Amino acid sequence: MSSVAAPGPILKENLWTNNPIFMQVLGICSALAVTNLLANTMIMTLAVVGVMGMTNLTVALIKSLIPRKVRMMVQTLIIASYVIVVDIILRAYVPDISRELGPYVGLIITNCIIMGRAEAFAQSNPPLISMWDGVTSAFGYMGVLLSIALIRELLGFGSLFGYQIMPEAFEPWIIMVMPPSAFFVLGIIIWIGKAIMEREGAPA
Amino acid sequence: MNKQSFGYTVIFTALISFAFVFLLAMANELTVDRIEFNNEVRLQRSILNAMGVEFDSDEHAAELFERVEQVEVEGLSLYSYERDDERLYAKEYSGSGVWGTIRGHVGITPDGTRTLGLTVLEHQETPGLGGRIDEDWFQEQFRNKQLVDGRLEMTSRDGEGNFEEDSGEIDGITGATGTSDSFANIINAHLEELYNALGGESA
Repeated sequence: MSSVAAPGPILKENLWTNNPIFMQVLGICSALAVTNLLANTMIMTLAVVGVMGMTNLTVALIKSLIPRKVRMMVQTLIIASYVIVVDIILRAYVPDISRELGPYVGLIITNCIIMGRAEAFAQSNPPLISMWDGVTSAFGYMGVLLSIALIRELLGFGSLFGYQIMPEAFEPWIIMVMPPSAFFVLGIIIWIGKAIMEREGAPA
Repeated sequence: MNKQSFGYTVIFTALISFAFVFLLAMANELTVDRIEFNNEVRLQRSILNAMGVEFDSDEHAAELFERVEQVEVEGLSLYSYERDDERLYAKEYSGSGVWGTIRGHVGITPDGTRTLGLTVLEHQETPGLGGRIDEDWFQEQFRNKQLVDGRLEMTSRDGEGNFEEDSGEIDGITGATGTSDSFANIINAHLEELYNALGGESA
């Protein structure tokens, strides 16, 4: 991994050239599970943005105090705590969406992207730029998940954010509602992404 | 101090665990009332909705709910509400769906022959398929529905809902036969209980 520490290159790297989903192929489980409705995907990925930003900030702040042996355990503790805080906030202020997401908010803890960035970036960089790295990585994740959700909701329900878009006569594709369709859509998105990248001549 | 030593590691781990558990306890403490209030409101709305009692806000629902009593009828624990000399009953139902427990309330007339309405409070069905039992069109089908021998039939028509009050039929969810069938079993078990307890046989 190249270590750039300026905000601009980090942004480009996390959103595009080193996108967590289609370059690193991390966080696939949630890309499959929470992408059949745009609204749910939006809340879920916003939660990931918050958790990743805070986790990277915290890890970078206390990194010099953490003994090497328990590094991973401490990172997990930090991630888990923030995820539970987010879960509590969702339950208190947007109970309906919280119910829809069900166990998936808790499962953010196991999202490999968060731990990956904490370990690869926050452990060896100053706090603010680490927070930026966390937030932009999560945006990269959000971009791909929202694209998948856009296709799945449009074809599976004929709607976007719950508003009916397709004409009455449109027959919804049941497969798009089921998790396997996310595999196809994700595969196609990775394909398109890599094809564009190769054309640009970036090392893919 | 040597940061890699055993002593430091143990102390650091204990302190940081304490710090984060404290943070969680705080977050929980600050929101516990609100979460409980949300749950309470949801329960009240669900019971009133199942009985077909209309309200226009959470406050209004809470006010109406003060007149709801919990009663025992033939060993069944029911919610009861009196509206213009008319008694309305609601019962909590629950049972297994495809992935987990489905729970909610069903409202019924005092003679046990007609449902007043139905709500789904909790379920773990597949989002977008069986999960559609929490959509309004599905639940509205149970509004003032005449029972046939204390039961309702789950049919597979066009999946758009059956709103004929005397048909005795509910339209299931397209692509979610498992959930539709389980739901029919759960609700019919409870309806038959109600029908028998409220004396529907003699009516």
